[in-house]
Amino acid sequence: MFRPVDQPRTLAVLLALDEEACIARTVREVRAALPGADVLVVDDGSADGTAREARSAGALVARHPINLGVSAAEATGLAYAHRHGYGAVVRMDGDGQHDPAFARALLDAVQDGADLVVGTRFSELRSFEPGSLRRAGNAFLAAVVSTLCRQKVTDPTSGFRAFGRRCAAFFAGVHPHDYPEPESLLMAHRHGFTIREVPVRMRPRTTGRSSLTPGRSAYYMMKTSLALTLELLRAR
Amino acid sequence: MSRSSWIVLAAAVLFAVVILASARSERTHERHTLGWLGVCVAIAALAIWRPGIDVLAQAMGIYYPPSALFFLCSAALLIMVYRLSVGLAQERERVRKLAQEIALLSVTRPDQPDQP
Repeated sequence: MFRPVDQPRTLAVLLALDEEACIARTVREVRAALPGADVLVVDDGSADGTAREARSAGALVARHPINLGVSAAEATGLAYAHRHGYGAVVRMDGDGQHDPAFARALLDAVQDGADLVVGTRFSELRSFEPGSLRRAGNAFLAAVVSTLCRQKVTDPTSGFRAFGRRCAAFFAGVHPHDYPEPESLLMAHRHGFTIREVPVRMRPRTTGRSSLTPGRSAYYMMKTSLALTLELLRAR
Repeated sequence: MSRSSWIVLAAAVLFAVVILASARSERTHERHTLGWLGVCVAIAALAIWRPGIDVLAQAMGIYYPPSALFFLCSAALLIMVYRLSVGLAQERERVRKLAQEIALLSVTRPDQPDQP
């Protein structure tokens, strides 16, 4: 496909686990929103036809033979981008919660020199509102991450992100365990990557289930706080 | 020797046989086999030489000898469980890397058929 010489090759990474019902639609939306970009679906060990549906919609598919979790799936996508020389990567959820219409804005911020761009739900744009418990949790994490990164971060748990070439290469090799988002922000900050937030709209999920239940959220908050503390104690 | 000593000794021998059998069929690693055999020897030694518990307790400054035994047992278990937890994390990391590598090596293009 034709691409201006000065524009880096772009890879859209969609993470999917048992998203047979909606992955094809998401892939088509992303392809329409980012003409010229390659779309890679990382199938994190789905038991259904996610891989087949994604391919039928025109995506490349990397399949984990076993379920490895969000963090590893993201790293697999970034490793693919790194090995195949992509200049920019946008990472989104396969269930369509991340509105592909905003992917271009994230990639533009990478083009402008940011290493890591986070799509934030908490901006002037009206989004689907997460529950109050999750909102409070998010506010707490946002305060912690903002303090540690010495810059305002409003949505540290957002997985709608774009990576520049160097940042993609870094996170392809080293990445946090389990739910990676807040910790990876601190890692990026500590390794000198520039972080920027861009307002995005997120949609409620139409199919599938969220991996975070209220009980797990509390545990998640504690584990993330511990992970952030440990990251601070690590040698750079 | 008292009857309880014989029972403990028999248990230690039985445990050693089980360990060696699983090592023979390659279900456990030599590294671990050696450690477990060491545990068997220690149990057998204390079964045969009962006053050894008193000597140990005295050396550790513990008045009630069985407490010394409990303490040593819990300490040994704690170390073994901790090592297992570290080993498990390492294995998890290796499995993850392997699975990711498989995924990256077998990326399918839109026109390719489904792989098993």
